Amino acid sequence: MLEKQLTGHRVDRSICAWFWEQSISQPDSFKVLPVIASPTHYLFQIVREGITFLACTQVEMPPLMGIEFLCRVADVLSDYLGGLNEDVIKDNFVIVYELLDEMIDNGFPLTTEPNILRDMIAPPNIVSKMLSVVTGNTSNVSDTLPGATSSCVPWRTTQLKHANNDVYVNLVEEMDTIINSDGVLVKCEIFGVVEVNSHLSGIPDLTLSFANPSILNDVQFHPCVRFRPWESEQILSFVPPDGLFKLMSYRVKKLKNTPIYVKPQMSSESGTCRLSVMVGIRNDPGKAVDSLAVQFQLPHGVSSANLTANHGTVDILADKTCSWSIGRIPKDKTPQMSGTLVLEEGMEQLNVKPTFQVDFKIMGVALSGLKINKLDLKNLPTPAHKGFRAQTEAGQYEVRS
Amino acid sequence: MHSALYKRLLRMLHLSRWRLRSLFTYICFTMLKGKRPNEALLSINIFQRDLGDQNPLVRAWALRTMAGIRLHVISPLVLVAVRKCARDPSVYVRKCAANALPKLHDLRLEENAAAIIEIIEILLNDNSPGVVGAAAAAFAFVCPNDLPVIGRNYKRLCEILPDVEEWGQIILIGILLRYVIARHGLAKESIMASLLPNIFSNEKTGSESDTGYLEIKKTYEIVLQEPELVAMVSRSYLAGPDKHLLHPNNSDVISSDYISSRFTSSKTDDNVKILLQCTLPLLWSRNSAVVLAAAGVHWIMAPMEEISKIVKPLLFLLRSSDASKYVVLCNIQVFAKVMPSLFAANIEDFFISSSDAYQVKALKLEILSSIATDASISIIFQEFQDYVRDPDRRFAADTVAAIGVCAKRNPQVANTCVEGLLALISPKSINSTSGSMDDEAVVLIQAITSIKDIIKQDPLSHENAIIYLIRNLDAIKVPVARAMIVWIVGEYNSIGNIIPKMVSIILRFLARGFPSESIETKYQILNAAVKVLLNSKEEDFDTAKSILNYVFELAKFDFNYDVRDRARVLRKLLSCYFSSSGLEEKPNNNEIRLLLVEHIFGEKVKPSTEMVNNRFYLPGSLSQIVFHAAPGYEPLPEPCSLTESDMVKGLEEEPTQAEANDSDVDSGSLNEEGSYYSEDSVTASTRTDSETTASESDNNNTDSLINLSDVGKPQEETNDLGELMSKGDLESWLDDNDNPGPSQNVAERVPSARISIGDISTRTKPKIYTLLDPTYGNGLKVIYKYSLEESAVSPPLVSVDTFFENCSSYSMSKILLTNEDSESSDQGSSLESQKDVPVFAPMEEISILEPGQTIKRVIHVHFHHHLLPLKLILWCNDKKHPVKLRPDIGFFLKPLMMDLDAFSQKESQLPGMFEYTRRCSFTDHLAELGSDGKDGDVSPTKDSFLIICQCLASKMLSNANLHLVSVNMPVDVNLNDASGLCLQFSGEILSNSIPCLVSVTLDGKCFEPLNASVKINCEETVFGLNLLNRIVNFLAEPQLTT
Repeated sequence: MLEKQLTGHRVDRSICAWFWEQSISQPDSFKVLPVIASPTHYLFQIVREGITFLACTQVEMPPLMGIEFLCRVADVLSDYLGGLNEDVIKDNFVIVYELLDEMIDNGFPLTTEPNILRDMIAPPNIVSKMLSVVTGNTSNVSDTLPGATSSCVPWRTTQLKHANNDVYVNLVEEMDTIINSDGVLVKCEIFGVVEVNSHLSGIPDLTLSFANPSILNDVQFHPCVRFRPWESEQILSFVPPDGLFKLMSYRVKKLKNTPIYVKPQMSSESGTCRLSVMVGIRNDPGKAVDSLAVQFQLPHGVSSANLTANHGTVDILADKTCSWSIGRIPKDKTPQMSGTLVLEEGMEQLNVKPTFQVDFKIMGVALSGLKINKLDLKNLPTPAHKGFRAQTEAGQYEVRS
Repeated sequence: MHSALYKRLLRMLHLSRWRLRSLFTYICFTMLKGKRPNEALLSINIFQRDLGDQNPLVRAWALRTMAGIRLHVISPLVLVAVRKCARDPSVYVRKCAANALPKLHDLRLEENAAAIIEIIEILLNDNSPGVVGAAAAAFAFVCPNDLPVIGRNYKRLCEILPDVEEWGQIILIGILLRYVIARHGLAKESIMASLLPNIFSNEKTGSESDTGYLEIKKTYEIVLQEPELVAMVSRSYLAGPDKHLLHPNNSDVISSDYISSRFTSSKTDDNVKILLQCTLPLLWSRNSAVVLAAAGVHWIMAPMEEISKIVKPLLFLLRSSDASKYVVLCNIQVFAKVMPSLFAANIEDFFISSSDAYQVKALKLEILSSIATDASISIIFQEFQDYVRDPDRRFAADTVAAIGVCAKRNPQVANTCVEGLLALISPKSINSTSGSMDDEAVVLIQAITSIKDIIKQDPLSHENAIIYLIRNLDAIKVPVARAMIVWIVGEYNSIGNIIPKMVSIILRFLARGFPSESIETKYQILNAAVKVLLNSKEEDFDTAKSILNYVFELAKFDFNYDVRDRARVLRKLLSCYFSSSGLEEKPNNNEIRLLLVEHIFGEKVKPSTEMVNNRFYLPGSLSQIVFHAAPGYEPLPEPCSLTESDMVKGLEEEPTQAEANDSDVDSGSLNEEGSYYSEDSVTASTRTDSETTASESDNNNTDSLINLSDVGKPQEETNDLGELMSKGDLESWLDDNDNPGPSQNVAERVPSARISIGDISTRTKPKIYTLLDPTYGNGLKVIYKYSLEESAVSPPLVSVDTFFENCSSYSMSKILLTNEDSESSDQGSSLESQKDVPVFAPMEEISILEPGQTIKRVIHVHFHHHLLPLKLILWCNDKKHPVKLRPDIGFFLKPLMMDLDAFSQKESQLPGMFEYTRRCSFTDHLAELGSDGKDGDVSPTKDSFLIICQCLASKMLSNANLHLVSVNMPVDVNLNDASGLCLQFSGEILSNSIPCLVSVTLDGKCFEPLNASVKINCEETVFGLNLLNRIVNFLAEPQLTT
C-alpha cells in the first residue's frame, strides 16, 4: 500500500476504514451518495466499474470540483491502462502513482489534460515493456517539458507530424425517451456528442458549421472551442487536440417521434401474471435498427417467470433481470415475447409495474436531424482527408407498463 | 530509518536522475521529518542546484519537492526559490511557484505572510492564463479576504477568465464575485434585491425617484411567489444561516438608507456587467463545477429577468456523471424553491428514470412538486401515478407525500389528489399486496398522512373522503394507519351532515374491538371518544357518555400501563360528566376541569404552514449539500465594505507590480503567451477602459519604488471597523502582567519532574481582545478577555470579562451591550428556546462612565460551539456601535480535575477516530532561555527543561481553560535534548460535559525551536478538531513581549 499525503495536514488512514465500515453496513444508500459527511472529514466518492474513488476534505470547497476531478482521474486511468479493474491497477502501480503525482499538487489539480499527460508520462505498452526489460531503463517518464504546457493551446502538442493527414467527425447521439403507462410519449430528447478524431500536422485551425444549428437546445464545449464565433454565427472554430476527443456535446429536446415502438401488456389474476411485449418499427429511420434489446427487472413478489419469444433469445439473470435480445427486426413478423410470471404464495395480483429499458443502435443516421454543413481546414501544410459519420443509440429509453 | 541507510540514500540523490530524486526525498522526508531535520537539510542544496537547471521541468520539480518538505527551518530558502521562480521564463515553473505558496503558508510563519501575498499579486498579474489560475487558487487559500489585491487587477482578471484553465476558473469566479459585492454592492435587479426595504413597503410610491424601484418591484412580484423565502435566502447568503436564524428580523434594525446605499445596478455598473459577461461563456464549459460556479454568479448578481440563462446549462449537467447529477440537483432544488417559474417550463427534465439512484429520485420529486403550476400539474400527476407503481416502495411512498404537498400548494387540484390517494387505500389494492406487507405499509401510512394533511386545509369539502376512510377502516390493518383514521374521526366528528350521524356507530364499533387494537390505536380511540362527547348534542350525549364509560372500563384493565394511566387521567378530568361518583363538593373545581378539557380537546387544528428547510448556503458550496456550515465556509462579504481608500492605497502600489511584471516576466517570456479567446471576447468599451487604467499606471510608473514590506497589512488604518475586527492577524492584545522572573519559579522546583499547578496559574496571561477601539467609539475603549471562572448564570455559558474604559475627556452614559437584534427584549426566554445559535445573556447597563474611569462587567455568552464572530451592538450615549465578539474555543472548556491514572485510562478509551494529532513548532522558551542562561550550558539541564515546561504550560493555560494533569519527562535525560517531554491537560466541554484530553509532546533540542506534537482525545470530533487547530495556532504563534 502506498500513501501520499498531498497537504501538510495529515489525513489519517482510519477514514478509509470508516468508509468501508459504513459502506458495508449500509450497502444501498451509502454507495450512491456522492457527498458524505463523516465525523472528521467530508468525503466525495464516485464509483467506476467497481472501483471506488474517494477524495476527502475538512474545509469548504466546491463539491463538484472534487467529483469532477475524480471523474477526470478515472478517465485518465482507464485511458492509460485500457480499462479499470483491481488487477490492472495493481499491475501498473507506478504509473498510477506518477499520474496522480502529476495531476494533483497540494490538493489542487495541476495537469489534467490527457494529451499533455501522455507527453510527460508514457502510457504502458508492449514495446516500452520490452525496452525496459532489455535496456534496464525502467523510467517511462519523459525528461523534457512538453511544449504544450507553455503554449496558448495547452491541449495540443506542438511539432506534430503525421504521414497521412486526416480528420473524422462523428456524430454520436443517444436518445432518452420516457413512454408512460398509457403509451404516451412524455419525454423524448437526443443527447449528442460531436467526436472528432484528428491526425493533422502542425497547428491547424478548423471551422465546423451546421446546416441547422437552431435545433440545438443547449451545448457544452471542449476548451478548444472559441466562444465568440459560436455566439455570433453559431459556427465552431477551434484548434483540435491530437487524436480522439469530444468537441462538443449538445441536446435536442422535444422530439416527436421514436424509431421503434415497444408495447408491454400485463394482466394479473389469481397468483399469475400474463405478460406480453411487442416490438416493431414505428418510423423507419432509413437505416437498419441493430442490436435491439429489451430489459426489465422482475418485480418483488415474482417467484418464477416463464417467458418465450418468437424471435431472439430471452435470458433471466441471477439478479432477477430479464433481458430479451432481438438483434435486427425481421421483415416477415413482429417480434413478440410472452409468458407468465408466477407470483409468490398469498399474492393475488401484482400492483407494481416494471419499467422496460430498450437498447438499440442505428448506424449512419443522426435522429436529431442535425446536419453538418462543412468543415474548413486552415493552416495546413498538405491537404487533408475529411470524413463524416453518424450513429444513434438508445440512451435512457424507458417504457413503463 | 537507519542513519547509514540515509547517507547512502543521500549519495543516491546526487547521482540519480532528477525525477527519482523527488520520489526518494518524499519517502525519506515523511519518515525523517520529525526526527532528524538537520540531516534532512543536507539534501536541500541538491534541489537548489536544480533550480538553476536548463530544463524547466527540472526546475519545477525541484521547487515542488522543496516546498513539499514542509520544514520551518528551510522556509526562508523556499521563499527565495519561489520568488525566483515566480519570474521564471517558463509558464510551467511559474505555475508551480504559485502552487508552492499555499504550502509555505501552511507552515504559519508570520514573517513570511507579507512576502507570500506580494508574490501572489505578482502572479495574479501574470500574462499567462495558466499561471493566473494557479495564483487564484493560492489567493483563495492564503488570503481570501485581502480583496484590494483583486481590485487592482479586477478588469484584467475578468477578461482573462475564459482562458484560465478549468480548475482555476472555479476558484477565480468565487473570488471575483466576493470582490464585486465587497466593492460595489449587490445588484438591485437581482434576487438579492429582496433586501431592499422599499420592495415590500408601499410608503414612497408617490415619489419620483422611486420609479426605478417600482419597476423592479413589479418584475419581482411577477417572478417570485414567496417573497419571505427569497428574503431569507438572500440574507442567508450574506450573513450565513446560523447568524441569520439567530436574528430573524434584523432587517428592521438596519436602516433603509444603509441598505439602499449598498446596492448597485447590474445594468449600469460596468464592473458588474463585465463579470456577468465574462462568466456567460463559462456556462458552456464541459466541467460541471465551472458551470455551477458561473451559474451561481448569475443567480446572485444577474437581473431577475436574465437569470433564465442558467437554466439550460444547469439542466444539461444532469446528463453528466451520477455523482455530479446529485450535487447539481441539490442546488437546483434551492433555485426552484425560490423561483419556481425558472424551471416551470422544463418539467420533463425532472421526470424520473428507472436508473436513477434513490436520492436523485427523491430530489427530483421535491423539485417537481415545487415547480408545479396550474398548467403543468395534470401532467405531473400523470407521472406521479406511474411512480406510485414503481417497484421501489420507499420511492412510491415519497411520491404519495409529494402528491400531498402539491395538493396543498394548488388547492384547486386537492380533490383530484384525494381521489387518487383514496384509490391507493382501496380494499382491493390493500388485499392484493399481503405478500410484501412491510413495503406496502409504508405507502399506505404515507397515503393516509397525505390525505390527513389535505383534509386539514379545508375539512368541509372533503367530507366524502373522510367517510370513505371510515368505511375502509375495517380493511386497514396497519396500526399507525388505523390510529390516524381514528384521529380523523375524532377531529372532524361534527363536520358536514353525514359524519355526526355515523360517529356514534363507529365509536361503538371501535369500543367493541378496543381490547384487540394496538396501543397507538387505543390512545386515539380514547381521544376520539372524549372529543365526540364534548361535541355531542343533547340527544346523542347519553350514547356518547356510555360509550366513553365503556371504553374507560376496558382501558382500566388493559395490559399496557400507559393506556391505563391515560384512561384514568381522562376520567378524572371528565369527572363532571360522570356525576354518579360523589365528586360534587366543589362545583367551581368542575368549571376549571371543563375549561381544561375544552382547551385540550376543543381546539381545532389550524392548517399548519409548510415547514421549509431554512438553511441556505451559497450555491455550489459544500455546505449547501451537507446542510451545515463546513469549516472554512464564508458567506458573501458585507456589501460595499471595501472602501475607496483601500483602493487608493492599492493604486499607489500598482506601479511596483506593473514594473516588476514588465521587466521580469515579459522579458523572460517568449511569444508563447498569446491569449486564445480574449482577443475577440472582450468588448470594445471594456478595452478602452483597461487602456486608460493601464496608461494611468504608466504615469505612476515614474514614482520611486514603494516599500513593499507593508503590502501584507494595507488595510490596517483604512478599513472600517467591521473589517478590522474580522481580521485574525490584527487581534491586538495587551501584556500588562510582567513576567515573574524565571528564577523565582525555579526556586520552587519539585524534585520529581512535576510542576505544581498553583505555580503555573500565576504565570498565565489570558489573551486580551479589543471589542471597540477608542478611535471608532468616540473615545470609548472596550477590551475583553475570557475568564477562567465558571459562569455564575448557567454552567454552559462562557463568561467574558469586559472592561469599559473612557479615554475621552467627557463622561459617557448608558453603556450597554446587546444582541444585534435589539428588538427581542425577552432575552431570558430566547436563552432557553433557541438551541443551536449563539446566545448572549443581557448585561447590566453602565449608567455613567467618567473620563479615565474603567468599569468591569462580566458578560455571559452561550456560543454553542460556533466559531464565527458574534455580532453585538454596543450602545453608548444612545449611539450604537456594531461590534464583534470573537469566540475562543479554548474557553468553551472548563478544567476537569483528574489524576494521571484517570487520564491514561480515559485516553485509552478514546482511540482511533476520537484521536487527532497535529504538529507545530514551539519557540517561546528560546526567549526565556536566552535571557536566563547567557552562559549556555552552565545551568543544569533540569532548569532548561523546567523553563520549557513552564513556557508551554503557561501558554496553554492562558489560551485554553484546562487543567494541567501531569508533566512527564524522559527518564534517560540527554543533555539539551528535550525530546519526549510530555504535558497532559484535561478539560470538559462546557455545554455537554464531554471530557477532552490534550497531550503535548515535545521533540528537539532545548536551545532550538522545538517540534510540538499536539494530540487530542475527545468524543466530540468536530469540537476536538477545532480545538486542535486553535491550540496548534497559538502554540506556533511567537510570543509577544511588551
